[in-house]
Amino acid sequence: MVHTLSEIRRVLVPNGILIDLRPVLDRWQIEVISAREIREAGRMQDFPLGLADDAAANQSVARAAENGWLVREQEEFFPFVYSWDSPKQMEEWIEEEWEGFIEPDQESNRATRSAWALADGDARVQVQMKMLITRWRKLEG
Amino acid sequence: MTVQKDPDGSEKKYLHKFADFAGKRVLEIGCGEGRLTRQYANAPHSTFAIDLDADALRVAVIDKPSDLHNKVHFLRAESEHVPFARETFDIAVLAWSL
Repeated sequence: MVHTLSEIRRVLVPNGILIDLRPVLDRWQIEVISAREIREAGRMQDFPLGLADDAAANQSVARAAENGWLVREQEEFFPFVYSWDSPKQMEEWIEEEWEGFIEPDQESNRATRSAWALADGDARVQVQMKMLITRWRKLEG
Repeated sequence: MTVQKDPDGSEKKYLHKFADFAGKRVLEIGCGEGRLTRQYANAPHSTFAIDLDADALRVAVIDKPSDLHNKVHFLRAESEHVPFARETFDIAVLAWSL
């Protein structure tokens, strides 16, 4: 990861900008949502593999800053929604795409299915991911 | 399976809040199927988007809108060995890649 940042610094012009955009694990919220209401159903569990990935990414950018390669100018968190037609589709997606990184705990799974059973016909299941966006600037020279 | 990603368009909104892409030369690292690329690629002068996943890049090329034909270029390359000369780009976007 540090090599990637070093390469970015090489190909950027002086004063060029790096936008780093990535999800950050933070027990993302699960919701059942329809036009009429939003029901909070629970949260994801964060697994060590995912948390280690986040820590490694943070270390890499911290190192790039320490080395004077890049200066952090602006940073913000924002929500990024993944939405499915049903709880089953969400579970399949998690198993295929996010296995080992996150998973709903048993209570959240139960609560999601209960909320789904009571929801309106237009309901969907969604996860609110936490996204981090940072603007870095390459120093001159 | 029908999955919707970012139906509210938050990512696009924040991307444009954090960088002015107009007329710039942009490198995107970790473009995958080009979902993020398509959200800003109208504005820059040119965009080179790289990824290691050949299947994802194939989808990115197929899904590329015709008006971006000469502006956006998808390439298979490693982020640790970016195949461009020094000081080629005004903006780099690390897309879910660190």
